[in-house]
Amino acid sequence: MIDRSERHFVHPRRLAAVALAIVGVFVVLSVRMWDLQVVNGSHYRELAEQNRVMRSPVLAARGVVYDRSGRLLARNDPGFAVSVVPVDVPRARQDDLASRLAVLVGRGSDEILRAITDQRARNPYEPVQVSARPVGRETALLLVERAELYPGVRVTAEAMRAYVDGPLYSPILGYVGPIDEEELAERKGGGYLLQDTIGKTGLEWQYEGYLRGTLGWREIERDASLRELRTLALVPPKPGNDLVLTIDDRLQRLMNEELEKGVKEDKFSQAVGVAMNPQNGEILAMVSIPAYDNNAFVQGVSAAQMKAWNSDDRRPLVNKAIGDIYPPGSTFKMVTGLTALSTGVATRNTVVNVSSNVLVVDGWRFYDWRAHGPLNFVDGFAHSSDIYFYTLGGGNPYTGQRGAGPEAMAKYGRMLGFGAPTGIDLPGEARGIMPDPLWKLATFDEPWTLGNTYHAAIGQGFVAVTPLQLLNAYAAIANGGTVYKPHLLKEVRSGDGRTVHTEQASVARKLDVKQEDLRLIRESMRRVVTIGHAFMPDAKLPIAGKTGTAEFGESGGLDSAGRHKLGFHNWFVSFVPKADNADPTAEIAMVIFTFDSSRSVCDSCFNPAIALTQKILETYKGVRPAAGVP
Amino acid sequence: MSVRPIAIPQAASPFHDRPSARRLLELDWILLLATLLLIGYGLAMGYSITIEDRTFSGDVGQQVLRGVLYAVIGLSAMAIVAVVDHAWLGTLAPLIYIGTLALLAIVLVIGDSTLGATRWVTIAGFKFQPSEFAKVFMVIVLAKWFADRDVRSPFTLLGGLALLAAPVGLVFKQPDLGTSLVFLGMFFGLAFIAGARLWHLTAILAAGAAAIPVLWGFLKEYQRARLTVFLDPYSDPQGAGWNIIQSLIAVGSGSLTGKGLTAGTQSPLGYLPIAESDFVFSGLAEDLGFIGAAILFVLYIVLLLSALRIAYGSRDAFGTYLAGGVAAMLAFQIVVNVGMAVSLMPVTGIPLPFISQGGSSLISICFALGALQSISMRREQKTLG
Repeated sequence: MIDRSERHFVHPRRLAAVALAIVGVFVVLSVRMWDLQVVNGSHYRELAEQNRVMRSPVLAARGVVYDRSGRLLARNDPGFAVSVVPVDVPRARQDDLASRLAVLVGRGSDEILRAITDQRARNPYEPVQVSARPVGRETALLLVERAELYPGVRVTAEAMRAYVDGPLYSPILGYVGPIDEEELAERKGGGYLLQDTIGKTGLEWQYEGYLRGTLGWREIERDASLRELRTLALVPPKPGNDLVLTIDDRLQRLMNEELEKGVKEDKFSQAVGVAMNPQNGEILAMVSIPAYDNNAFVQGVSAAQMKAWNSDDRRPLVNKAIGDIYPPGSTFKMVTGLTALSTGVATRNTVVNVSSNVLVVDGWRFYDWRAHGPLNFVDGFAHSSDIYFYTLGGGNPYTGQRGAGPEAMAKYGRMLGFGAPTGIDLPGEARGIMPDPLWKLATFDEPWTLGNTYHAAIGQGFVAVTPLQLLNAYAAIANGGTVYKPHLLKEVRSGDGRTVHTEQASVARKLDVKQEDLRLIRESMRRVVTIGHAFMPDAKLPIAGKTGTAEFGESGGLDSAGRHKLGFHNWFVSFVPKADNADPTAEIAMVIFTFDSSRSVCDSCFNPAIALTQKILETYKGVRPAAGVP
Repeated sequence: MSVRPIAIPQAASPFHDRPSARRLLELDWILLLATLLLIGYGLAMGYSITIEDRTFSGDVGQQVLRGVLYAVIGLSAMAIVAVVDHAWLGTLAPLIYIGTLALLAIVLVIGDSTLGATRWVTIAGFKFQPSEFAKVFMVIVLAKWFADRDVRSPFTLLGGLALLAAPVGLVFKQPDLGTSLVFLGMFFGLAFIAGARLWHLTAILAAGAAAIPVLWGFLKEYQRARLTVFLDPYSDPQGAGWNIIQSLIAVGSGSLTGKGLTAGTQSPLGYLPIAESDFVFSGLAEDLGFIGAAILFVLYIVLLLSALRIAYGSRDAFGTYLAGGVAAMLAFQIVVNVGMAVSLMPVTGIPLPFISQGGSSLISICFALGALQSISMRREQKTLG
């Protein structure tokens, strides 16, 4: 046996304690391992997988836009995104870099600096995008060629929206821009990314859902420095659908050209033209002059440019066909006439003797533009007699004739679509004003007067319409009583050319009027042209229409373009019946609205909208000899 | 009072004490088996780490051969030390002490710096880490110090601490906080096994605890962060906590059976820093799972308990203390390294015995285990019959 007495240096209990401690510690470690690996193993496996695999979005190509005949209106051009990898930027140079980049990508240098420093703290190996919008080829080339001036800068491809004709279509197409925080919050879960692009206005906004497409995903194996090692999986993006518009590019161009020419020749300072098919509400052309170049918004608008647009009193950023309201002037006599016919206060044979050019009621004087003599409905409409329609609207104390009254006018006016948006597939549509006594009481806290009725009867006073509303109301006359919801979308096609959606004509309401009354209005409209009130020399088409001259705003002074403000604007709203009998089969209706185009309301006053209408329609229909041919 | 029980008298010189055949049979075979298995385990992990190392561009076979070479050198050192009577180590202790200090001093003068620390010296084309050898050498020095004195005297304890102060200071200066802590852990383990009074040890620990606020001031910012962040690694997930979180992910994702040798992803993708040494256990647990870790633990327990049995059976105090000290040192390293990988201990750069790659660690441990075998062969014999 071991002699214990000689081995006092061995302390068995201490050795046993150490052995026990060792075993105990390993038990603790094993329990911990069991917890980590067996109990929570799947959780950590997931985390390891997230470490290994990065899901990175692959942007879908945005759908393009065509006119009805297949002409490209909006496409995608190669553009470039600028990013910075913070780890490659020496701290001492990052201020300098930020201010250099600020000039090129159109963002504040402090914003860029913040993006870089934030990313440096987050993950300096991962690039952070500093361009809010795609930059052009020149900028990209500059960044790459002068790399020594731009340390850590990466340039990657990013599609850039391009609008083929800029201002020609900007009122319709609108533009895309970088998504803002509010839009991002609204579309949470909709597959939008922080640096995403979104339709801001116009059809780009309206049909964002069709155009955008679906993000794809790439699963990339990466290492701890987030270097991308290889692609593990690719879920390809679904490209956005293409839009085919109801717009006829040929008519759009023609209309734009003629209206531009009028502005250039100083016949008027602004102009609106809208054409539609009255049988289904398809918009064939929509021109608003002056417009803006929507390409500017894709690459970022300079503050000076934005300021210039905003301070321009011709409002180039507004689609005046739908976004601004104007007094319709004599074109509104159609509403007064239809109301009088429908309520029975007038027939085609109702005669008013306009023996003087002024109607005096309770000491107030209401003028006509001349003393017409006795007029029946058709002639009253064709000569655009104000006193005739004062009488139909508000009655005549001298002849004892009864008027339809403001409530009835408002009823039929609303039926025709005034005072409410038409529902066209564009954002920013104005309601217009269809006044009645209740409206006046609510708005001005004043009672309605006979004068208000008279003014409303000839489209002055409180009445205010958008050019599209006016056109749409006349389209209902032209097609025999159906108010359509106007629309610009014809169909939606997938990238491979399949039609995925066809926009159907959508009826807003049917007019509760007699067909013969509509026929009478159409006949009267045709008479406007045939008697030469709307003078169309050597006419090739049986155009029917109605003139209008509206006093609007101040006359005198100069507008932003340096032209004289004349204070009177001209309308001509028209349609082309198949034959001279003004049948309800017209396939084109058009409104032309010119600003500051005359000095007063008079017969001889030049209404440029009439000649424009004749020229545009005849050229479009191919019945007009080409320019230069005698 | 010196204690020198002599059952088998010390030989006149190391060369006079040739082990007889009977002594060879007294080798601790279980310890030897555990040692060989652990070395094998380490080689297998070395292979896996090399395959998983995405920055490694050399020849994998050559890298494995290098590990085998270290193992052969280590086993040779073990054999040589085992053959020599361990008492000679005690006799040479003063020289060993001076040599240790010289080695550590040399590191600070001509050492190679990596990652802000100076731990390596290159001598004759061989790169080695003196602090690894210093750990084993200081076990010898302290065992000798305690063996020759009354351990129950506070002066013996304080003297031992004073002896330790110089190497600890030098290592701390590198800076290598982890190894400094191993020295202290080994000291307390050795003193406890040697029979120091508990209240003395407690008093020293209390004094040390009281000095922590002062010592805290000597630490660098990153060292402080590493020492505390393990309590809640998610408090700084991108900073000081990152290593720990990634280590936990590696360990946890290994599950019961692991992803398979060389099939781990955390290490090849760079999520495990210093995957060949400090965080080698995380990679092992990821590759081989709970079962792999448990096998490693069992081997460690066998090794450590064998060391304690040798301490128990030693013929002399020096042998007992030496074996106990080696056990304490290895246990401390294992617990701190594994504890770090599973976020039970602060992050300190301590290699995991046998598994961490690197010749210095393996050879120095083999040297120590050789001494243990020497003690085993010269232990007290039970009276037969």
